[in-house]
Amino acid sequence: MLTTAETPVRDLAALLDDLSAAEPSVRRAAARDLAAHPEAAMPACDRLEIEASPSVRAVLLTTLIHLQSPAVAVRLAAHLRSEDVPLRNAAIEALQEMPDAIAPHLQDLLADEDSDVRIFAVNILGALRHAQAPEWLAEVVRSDPHINVCAAAVDALAEIGSLETLIDLENLRRRYDGNAFMEFAIDAAMRRIEGQ
Amino acid sequence: MNKPLARGHDSDMRGRRPRVLVVDDGITMRMFYRSVLEAAGFLVEEAANGMEGYEKVLTQAFDLMIVDINMPKLDGYALMQLIRGEPAVRGVPAVMISTEAGDRDAAKAYEAGANFYLVKPIPPDELTEVARLVAGVTVP
Repeated sequence: MLTTAETPVRDLAALLDDLSAAEPSVRRAAARDLAAHPEAAMPACDRLEIEASPSVRAVLLTTLIHLQSPAVAVRLAAHLRSEDVPLRNAAIEALQEMPDAIAPHLQDLLADEDSDVRIFAVNILGALRHAQAPEWLAEVVRSDPHINVCAAAVDALAEIGSLETLIDLENLRRRYDGNAFMEFAIDAAMRRIEGQ
Repeated sequence: MNKPLARGHDSDMRGRRPRVLVVDDGITMRMFYRSVLEAAGFLVEEAANGMEGYEKVLTQAFDLMIVDINMPKLDGYALMQLIRGEPAVRGVPAVMISTEAGDRDAAKAYEAGANFYLVKPIPPDELTEVARLVAGVTVP
């Protein structure tokens, strides 16, 4: 079996064995070559949960972006609760690269009881190339009860918000009347949206 | 959970403005810190992630660092561990900042070498007071 670039595709079973090898270089090569096997997405997600090498993790995430699906997005979204900050940040960056895969799950993440998970969901939205992203962020501003979640949404709307968003920002300003940071952030976002 | 740590800092700031490095990936947050800290008399330098912050700490002299925890490339904990392990800069005082109000992030921040821990959003008066306290700035 050959790819169009005439590169041999390695056997899946052998790659999965290599994914548990002691040497990071062997695991890294296996993680890279798994991108040719759509059925390897879940084993790659499993490996990501225990992989200690940053470079192997990075390759696993690149492979998972290549193999992206709603199921992969769910597995990556679970890392938003991780205490491993580099892994959590890497998961956020990977999810930003799979808008169609993560979109069906964003409402659940934005409704999570943990405000930090909601902030990370807003961070994903801010860089997501998805037509609904500005409206979902505006809904966060309208309805989320936590000031830091709203502040994250204001920051994201400064980048991708439209003039229709301004009324939501004005309402948020009234909700947090007297909060110096929120007033500062809203002013900055409105100036950017208005193109000043 | 906010408490000062007794990491000594005795830089001589007589006759000059104290320099603070703000390390945060949020541009609005950096602008806010700059606005507050410049009004309080600090000279402010910015870094947009931990790696940029580490490079600036190694090449410039600072009296204080304001460090966000959640950042791309190099997070706040990892940045602090690098700085505290580098003899030439390990004594630079640092305030770590997070959105987490519980004890979990605070304990990790102090373990990583923070002198003080604050939770967003931070009122300007509190940021000024803590920055002066941790940097050892005497208010005239």
